[in-house]
Amino acid sequence: MISLVADRRDIAAGARAMVPWLVGIVPFGLVIGLSAAQAEIPTLAGWLTGPLIYSGSAQVATIEMLDAGGAPIVVVVAALIINIRLILYSATMARHWRGTPWWWRFVAAYLLIDPSFAVGLDGYERLADRGRAHAHYVGGAVLLWASWLAAIGVGATIGAGLPTWLHLEFVIPLFLVGEAVPKLASPALRRAILAAATVAVLALSAPLHLGIALAIAAGITAGLTARPGVSAQSTHPLHQPTEVRR
Amino acid sequence: MNAWIVILAAGLGSYLFRLSSIVLIDRITMPAYLERASGLVAPAAFAALAAAGVATACMGLGATEAAAPLAAVAAAVIAVLRTGSSYTAILVGMPTLWITTSLLSS
Repeated sequence: MISLVADRRDIAAGARAMVPWLVGIVPFGLVIGLSAAQAEIPTLAGWLTGPLIYSGSAQVATIEMLDAGGAPIVVVVAALIINIRLILYSATMARHWRGTPWWWRFVAAYLLIDPSFAVGLDGYERLADRGRAHAHYVGGAVLLWASWLAAIGVGATIGAGLPTWLHLEFVIPLFLVGEAVPKLASPALRRAILAAATVAVLALSAPLHLGIALAIAAGITAGLTARPGVSAQSTHPLHQPTEVRR
Repeated sequence: MNAWIVILAAGLGSYLFRLSSIVLIDRITMPAYLERASGLVAPAAFAALAAAGVATACMGLGATEAAAPLAAVAAAVIAVLRTGSSYTAILVGMPTLWITTSLLSS
């Protein structure tokens, strides 16, 4: 188990390893905060997606679908589909956290998301001493968590006071376009993106706002039809390093 | 069910995903197709939300005014393709939206 005094250096090393991730993550947090402030939901509820869901893409989906009047169950299912990769991360980290106290597992699992997974896994692979690797994970994960919540808070505070002619509700669609376009280079992702976008537009008037969930399913199905191995590396979440995915 | 409960439910479900293997079965082997599918979820979701967001923005406008958000998206796509940076979509797209909206409404 970690000792905060003895492992201070490893905590600091984990935090340092997280810094490059923050360059991409903090602006995304600001954008989510802005969208939460502009959406037709209480700003505090939008900010709470940070500590409660703690996953950028699922937070965006939740805020946007609630703002569009999506049926609650559809919104929850869409967010959980997006976060299904967390099961994969959980399975990977279980090896390293076997035998640790329950309180540690509950806290460490809460902090588990793409960047903390990547930084933490690096520590577990490099450091032979598990206690030191735990400290490395905590250092990176806590810095990420604090930065993420602060960025959303700042975005929400700024966004609430800005005039409507700025059309800040359009920031999120543009941000998502920016995230999707570079991925068009991969055949599997290109199929997934084009199919999802097409179905989303066609199903815009689907009942219960099921269109987004249908579009995601269509995109995944289309992506899976690409030849296995063609883009296995590029489709891995850790090769998409700009989100608290995040 | 209001927004608060939806966010709470999505958060609880996400936390259970994080805990799943750690608490229940120390180690599981994810089927290969599921591992591939997990890498497709975020891009598919982003594309779906972006397309729906743009389409919704255009739907409430007349044919002429709808050109503004479409021009903003086109500028954003070109900017990202040229720079390779995701954030240029916002940096280029938003000013394009403001300028075209202003021009079309004048």
